[in-house]
Amino acid sequence: MRAILESFAAAGADSLGYAARWKAEHGRPVIGSFPMHFPLELAHAAGALPIIIQEAEDPITDGEGAVFSFYCGFNRSVADQALKGRFKVLDGIMFGDHCVQLLGTADVIRWNDPDMPIIFEQPVSSLDMAWAFAETRQVYAHLKQEIEELLGVVITDDALRASISLFNRNRQLIRRLYALRIEGRAGLTAREMQHVVKSSMVMDRAEHTALLEALLAEIEASPPPAPQGLPVYLSGHLCQAPKLELLDAVEQTGMVVVGDDLYHGYRYISTDVPEDEEPLAALAHWYIGRNANVPCPTRADGDADWDDFLIRDIRRTGAKGLIVLVAKFCEPHMYYFPEIMEACDREGILMLKLETEHDSMPMEAFKTRLETFVEVARRRLAATPPAAHVQVERSDAEQQYQ
Amino acid sequence: MQNSNISDARGVHSPTLKSNRLKSTRIGSGIVHDYWSDLFAAKDSGKKVVWYNGTYIPPFFQAHDVAWVHGEAWSAYLAARHVEGDAQSAGESRGYDRELCSYARTHIGQALMDKKDLQDGKIDPESPRGMAISQLPMPDMIVNAYPYCSSGQQWDEMIYRLFDKRVPIFHVNVPMLWGGRKDAQYLAGSEMDDKVAYVSRQLRAMTEFLSENTGRKYDWDRLSEVMSYIKKSAELRLEAMDLCTATPSPASFFDWIVTIAHVNFMPGTQRLVDFFEVLKAEIAQRVADGEGAVPDEKYRFFFDGMMNWNKVGWLAEKFAANNACVVAGRYTHMSFWQEPQAVNLADPVPGMAHNYLACPNNSGAPYMIGEIDRLCDKFKIDGMVMHVSRTCRGMTNSQHLIVDSARKHGRAALFFEGDVADESFYKDELLNTRLEAMIESLDSRRAMVA
Repeated sequence: MRAILESFAAAGADSLGYAARWKAEHGRPVIGSFPMHFPLELAHAAGALPIIIQEAEDPITDGEGAVFSFYCGFNRSVADQALKGRFKVLDGIMFGDHCVQLLGTADVIRWNDPDMPIIFEQPVSSLDMAWAFAETRQVYAHLKQEIEELLGVVITDDALRASISLFNRNRQLIRRLYALRIEGRAGLTAREMQHVVKSSMVMDRAEHTALLEALLAEIEASPPPAPQGLPVYLSGHLCQAPKLELLDAVEQTGMVVVGDDLYHGYRYISTDVPEDEEPLAALAHWYIGRNANVPCPTRADGDADWDDFLIRDIRRTGAKGLIVLVAKFCEPHMYYFPEIMEACDREGILMLKLETEHDSMPMEAFKTRLETFVEVARRRLAATPPAAHVQVERSDAEQQYQ
Repeated sequence: MQNSNISDARGVHSPTLKSNRLKSTRIGSGIVHDYWSDLFAAKDSGKKVVWYNGTYIPPFFQAHDVAWVHGEAWSAYLAARHVEGDAQSAGESRGYDRELCSYARTHIGQALMDKKDLQDGKIDPESPRGMAISQLPMPDMIVNAYPYCSSGQQWDEMIYRLFDKRVPIFHVNVPMLWGGRKDAQYLAGSEMDDKVAYVSRQLRAMTEFLSENTGRKYDWDRLSEVMSYIKKSAELRLEAMDLCTATPSPASFFDWIVTIAHVNFMPGTQRLVDFFEVLKAEIAQRVADGEGAVPDEKYRFFFDGMMNWNKVGWLAEKFAANNACVVAGRYTHMSFWQEPQAVNLADPVPGMAHNYLACPNNSGAPYMIGEIDRLCDKFKIDGMVMHVSRTCRGMTNSQHLIVDSARKHGRAALFFEGDVADESFYKDELLNTRLEAMIESLDSRRAMVA
């Protein structure tokens, strides 16, 4: 188990290094994708290794002159990596998000490396408009065509179906881990859960899936770990992974993470692509449907509310508090945060907001706030008559796996 | 008091105003005044009201006889009257971070949250702030049509939620023109053709939304009529802008700024056409007389970035005091009905879609910057004034790249911090220092050439 988690951690920590080694070994192209809504299955079906471009750990230096300091850490880091030539391993980048900051960052990459192919196709961001499905399917058809032209291959329906099936299997296995965590049967830390998900954004999916199967088998055969602390839910951090030391701090202050909607978490693996319909239509349905499973503040959808989802999911997981991780300057999150705050107030859910940055994280101050949060939560729990039982409901996704 | 402010703004020594603003812009003020008056009376006259954000779609509303509130304009209206601060505080008190678009914070904060305070008697309805709030008619519909800026969509989603989802909302996606296809050019090529068709379909669907929510059939002939005035006004405006290639420039960026409302959201009428006729005539007369917007024009600048609405006069005087005429800008010269020739009055929708896609931010940086460089050559620009509008990232995105290109073309550049509607981000001393440095640099460059 340790060896598997370490290989996941290594791939996630150095995604471009992993990609370079994979490329050398397989002699096949690597396609980078910006988060959060792009179907990597298309690049995989073309024979490439698709990877989600990650925020780097190192301080932003070259990127300072390309992206202003009031942009989120992910965008600043991506620009920095581009200017340092780190993306040379990529044979192309594909994206289509409408995040205004990300659009600017993509242009910074193009301006500084005009030879880097960048495929841009923008799916509909207002998901409840009548044309959302048809237009998104059309966008993905264009994307497929552009990947074919870039890589000089034809993506057959059979190949795309096989990729969809593999990615679904990978997501289902990770969701099984999430289910085990809720049930208290998976002794994985928040750091380790991030390793699992982040590496799934990067690694060869067949290799990752095989390792996941081995990991799950080992966990399911192991005795359940002892209860570890106050159960809490992590929300937020859309494009970039929360810093590992922050996740450690949550647990070191007496909490255990039982659920999340992080992009480097449940959000990424929440939804499968339907396998019983035409592949491009299936991808379009996946794109629209995942917002119903885990609403995203970057999408407009009158039927999906992030705050309502959070309240439901906090109850589903049995969490006793919510920690909201806001990446500084993340506009969609900042717009929706007041609604989340008010929903927590309304529902009596204890909530702590931590604003994170790329370079300077006030970890000691965070720890103090986390300790206070735990103390308040425990006092509140002590003052509350014990609930008969924490109702843990299974999500559709988990039932689908079952 | 005002004179002392202006003296401070200039950071220099003359006691008199130096910018020579166009007189005809005062005529334009009447059009704007009447628009707001009509809007405030819209409910009394039985009109439905649509709140919208994004591109200049009011002709669709005007043709259907509904009143319209442009969220950005409302925020700018409040900022220009210096009553935006309390609204922004109200937004912050609900938890909206001050790094969010200040237009959005102002709109959400004052027009909605304070509205409740007004109803609860917490704000004096007779105060200037109370008057402004109480006059804004509440929406019967919401339309979002933002090119490029994701923040704009989220802003309207918040408005929709603040009204408990009771007010119907419609989204028009105006997709970015990335320019990745082999035949890509500025506002041309197969990508542009595809997107024009896509936006046109959505605009037609929007008219169905308007019909559904008013119970009236959409009047396409009326749209053509409205667009005839808009198209003529836009042509006159562009012709007048072209006259500013003269030296000294007869009008400045700040003159164009105060006429943004007219090409952005004023009703398309003969009165609007008449206004631009008068404006153009005044500019032509100035060219004939050799009269400049800055009397002793020595430097010609390009203003990049969103306008700092509570600093319009302040900045106009600051540059004029340094004998610098800001001749053109991305916001004024690339953003509003820049392609009137694309509008076919017999079938105006595709041409309107073409213009909406032409928002400069919406074109990939190489294409947008190519157009900026072309404008700078045309207007004989010496230097770039880059307004880093803190909460408008749609406008700040490519500014480093714009400067990179400008320097390759031999133009100087400065950055200064500010914002569209949040005065607290503006740092006057930084601008003074950087402006002085850029002017010294230009002087020294000219001395070397001489």
